[in-house]
Amino acid sequence: MSMAPARKYVSARIKRVEDPPLLMGKARYLSDITLGGMLTVGFVRSPHAHARIVRIDARAALAMPGVEAVLTGEQVRAFTQPIRAEMSGASYRSTDWAALAWPKARFVGEPVAAVVASDRYRVEDALDAVVVEYEPLPPVVDAEAAMTADAPRLHEQHPDNIIIQARYDNGETDRAFADAAITLRTTFRHGRCTSAPMEGRGVVASWDAADGTLTVWASTQAPHFTRAGLAAALDLPESRIRVIAPAIGGGFGPKMHVYPEDVTVCALARRLGRPVKWLEDRRENLLTSAQAREFVAQAEVAADRDGTILAFRATFICDVGAYSVYPTTAALEPMTAAGIMPGPYRLRGYSYEAYGVATNKCPTGAYRGVGMAFATFVRERLVDMVAAACAVDPADVRRRSFFAQKDTPYTTASGIIVDSADPAGSLASVLDAAGYDGLRAEQRAAGNGRLRRGIGLCAYTEFTGMGSGTFRRRGMTQVSGYDAATVRVEPTGEVRAFLSAASQGQGHATTFAQVLADELGVPLAAVTIIEGDTERCPHGSGSFASRSMVVSGGALILAARKVRDKTLTIAAHMLEAAATDLVIDDGRIAVRGMASRAVTLADVARLAYRPASGTLPPGVDPALEATHHYDPPPATFSNGTHLAVVDVDIETGEVRIVRYVVGEDCGTMVNPMIVEGQLHGAVAQGIGNALYERIVHDDGGQPLTTSFMDYLLPTTMELPSVEVVHSETPPPGSVSGFKGMAEGGTIGAASAVANAVADALAPLGVEVRELPLAPDVLHRLIARAARDGTRA
Amino acid sequence: MKPPPFEYFAPASVKETLDLLREHGDQAKLLAGGQSLVPMLNFRLVRPGALIDLNGVPGLDGIREEPGMLRIGAMTRQRAVERSAVVRERCPLLAEAMPQIGHVQIRNRGTIGGSLVHADPAAELPAVVAALGGELIVRGAAGERTIAAADFFVGYLTTAVAADELLVAVRLPVAPPRAGHAFVEVSRRHGDFALVGVAVTVTLDGSGVCTSAAIAVTGVGPAPVVAADAVAALVGQRPATTAFEEAARRVSAQLEPHSDLHASAEYRKQVGGVLTRRALALASERAAGASR
Repeated sequence: MSMAPARKYVSARIKRVEDPPLLMGKARYLSDITLGGMLTVGFVRSPHAHARIVRIDARAALAMPGVEAVLTGEQVRAFTQPIRAEMSGASYRSTDWAALAWPKARFVGEPVAAVVASDRYRVEDALDAVVVEYEPLPPVVDAEAAMTADAPRLHEQHPDNIIIQARYDNGETDRAFADAAITLRTTFRHGRCTSAPMEGRGVVASWDAADGTLTVWASTQAPHFTRAGLAAALDLPESRIRVIAPAIGGGFGPKMHVYPEDVTVCALARRLGRPVKWLEDRRENLLTSAQAREFVAQAEVAADRDGTILAFRATFICDVGAYSVYPTTAALEPMTAAGIMPGPYRLRGYSYEAYGVATNKCPTGAYRGVGMAFATFVRERLVDMVAAACAVDPADVRRRSFFAQKDTPYTTASGIIVDSADPAGSLASVLDAAGYDGLRAEQRAAGNGRLRRGIGLCAYTEFTGMGSGTFRRRGMTQVSGYDAATVRVEPTGEVRAFLSAASQGQGHATTFAQVLADELGVPLAAVTIIEGDTERCPHGSGSFASRSMVVSGGALILAARKVRDKTLTIAAHMLEAAATDLVIDDGRIAVRGMASRAVTLADVARLAYRPASGTLPPGVDPALEATHHYDPPPATFSNGTHLAVVDVDIETGEVRIVRYVVGEDCGTMVNPMIVEGQLHGAVAQGIGNALYERIVHDDGGQPLTTSFMDYLLPTTMELPSVEVVHSETPPPGSVSGFKGMAEGGTIGAASAVANAVADALAPLGVEVRELPLAPDVLHRLIARAARDGTRA
Repeated sequence: MKPPPFEYFAPASVKETLDLLREHGDQAKLLAGGQSLVPMLNFRLVRPGALIDLNGVPGLDGIREEPGMLRIGAMTRQRAVERSAVVRERCPLLAEAMPQIGHVQIRNRGTIGGSLVHADPAAELPAVVAALGGELIVRGAAGERTIAAADFFVGYLTTAVAADELLVAVRLPVAPPRAGHAFVEVSRRHGDFALVGVAVTVTLDGSGVCTSAAIAVTGVGPAPVVAADAVAALVGQRPATTAFEEAARRVSAQLEPHSDLHASAEYRKQVGGVLTRRALALASERAAGASR
């Protein structure tokens, strides 16, 4: 009905309003929640990758001081249901993930029994005293081995270990390969990674026997999914469970899932009638929080003689670990990789096979850049290999092979519709900012000493802001796909919004406030954002897969517009003017051109909530509040280009990143400073994937990286300063102009670094096909290339 | 990640500490800076019956010049050594190694003695003490004894300090004139233990001929490896690339490292040689500079 006021806060670099309490230690994290009579829970975890649990003797533990209870898998199955992630589609096989393993454990770290005691020290003493007799079974710890006919089977009800498989061909692939001047084929591998948020998972549960309700504080990205998963596992209606997400110290994906520990802690609270708490420690985090990225892919590329990319063929084999995670399923990672593979390229042909294969390892799940990071690595390496084969600059191959902005919305060869993007523009902006020609000249001048300079490019598209249409197409029936917002102007004029999103540190209290303040024409300080509570906030999906600003943001705008329209209607009545003649600014509603004829939002609110104090317009209901549930278009795509410059010490295999430039296009930016912060963090994680991070298991499935001594996150000392070039291509017809952008940094960084290292070592005959590129790995590749070179 | 139960003692003197050690024997663990011990306790990798906290024991810290030597008390914080002008001047090899140990926060708590007695096979300090031929002073009920570095590092996380003894200080020879030094390492990240690290000293005579040298390699075995054979390739010669390369080849040949998550044995063997060559070149350059 009315024009939106001009945007005053959106696009501004506004400091994060949530930071003062976070920085001053005032924020309340899960560990800060203490309830009267609260007990602490710890878990006896399987030391075997695959074993039958013969018997559990808890007598000694129960006799220890402060120990209140020990719960086993055999007991807990009587009053809980296993977590079961569902998916439509014939090829998917669901898994039952018990609250406590019984009769067998399928990965090292899987909870086998729970100990409840007065504090964590006593819990850990008692964990040592629980005697579990295991009958070890042969484990399978490699996805390719797990696909063979005689591999040990994880889930007996299924004929093999393949949880999900899919095939696709756009129908042009074979012809494109047949016509191509150049075809290359190789195998790529990516190590298993974990997201390692500063705060691990955790749950506090309290059962109110009087009204039969369970209150759960959880370190979750998706309070409503947690509620739904717990309701199913605990046989409770969703209305009996309240999930609250307090301040959260990072999520990055894994905290959108529901885990056995969550179910056990809630079941214990209900049975013991006392509040219980479990906080994941770092060892548990590295053993059991959903992991990611472990792939092998056989991939082929077809290209013209000038380097123009024509087609890809790929077989993705993803090691999904022991169970299919709720609610996205084990299909999430392999299918996302397969779908995003064409990226920003105009391909004639694309075909794939994708497999998610169960192994005796920690389940994998959502992690920043899920599937996309690996597919981008495969594609961008292949593109560089084509460039080398054709002796064409990698930037030229990309420029030649991208789809054009004028062709958007563009349907990629995998059938995904990229709503808007300007890949060539993004590439040009990065080359320009980096001084690409100069960098190449410096590289040539650097010569052939022990330090070799390399320059790597990566172009990508990023799947964001997915609506139910995408989840329906992907068969992910347990994912709602929409989000919601309630906007309320309180009787005294303050504005509060209640969102189904759940911040883990992204700055929602600031960015959503910017959006809402602009929509209502009020000062930023008048707005408060409330999230993370299933009783206070409307039903929706939560914060994952780069969706908050698009989906919850869209809901917020649409709810705010309803409130604004009502505000104007009431104000028009109060001012005896036409609503269309009113303007809102800074919390005042005035008649256009007559600043003195004005009321404040507080005046309108007072009347809305106390209609007896005046008169509301005919037909207008009291109060000033609206809710909108917003199901957006299937997806909106961000895109970007990364450029990395590295020096590789060819004697030690050490890599130093000397320059890093990101070109990012996420549509209209709500807060460029927060966009850059997201990019810095995401690039750090991508560099971690490229050079440092890897979860390692021995042949028996024993994880060897169970502390930060061995699972290596890059620190500030290893990271380059990240230069960011922004461009904004808003999706046409969108509610907000926003696109998601949380993952692009991670998606682009691993591949840009890999390409830079490959570029540095190309003169030595080294090809990069695996991540991470630890010094030892590069040293081996260099030595092998030298041997091969000598033989040749 | 909580330690198992233990009895905690906070002695106020060396004598009281030795009494406690005699009473609890190998059931006791000494707590210095706690940068290795506390994580090991929390992982329940060690389960001492008694934890004897040295932080309240007077007289165990401080850096003192003695004739030809620098004496550093066992409880001297690593950060204090790093920032010491005396150490920088008299014992520059140690000064160069210090910033490569962990991070500032770790060095603020970590002690010289704690690191030496913990004897992590990839730690920097044991290699420095081994290269310099330092002396370790330990005290027991029977009094004080001095152990040469070569006899001190016995094996993996094991030293010659007996269960009822306490390391009180390390004595390091001060650098002679016309000497150069270098500590170089490769680690996965800044502050990590070395995949392989090399500590060297080179001393020249007035005509630029190498009169003595020392090479110790860390991260390549249960204890620092002292490369005497490689040193022989240098002594009596004017430092030059060919000599460095020969020394590097000998170090590489001598090493019998292990493989672990972060590097293979082959990597450590080869890179041990590379770092030896680089360290010798740098140390010789510095020695030549010191001679001018």
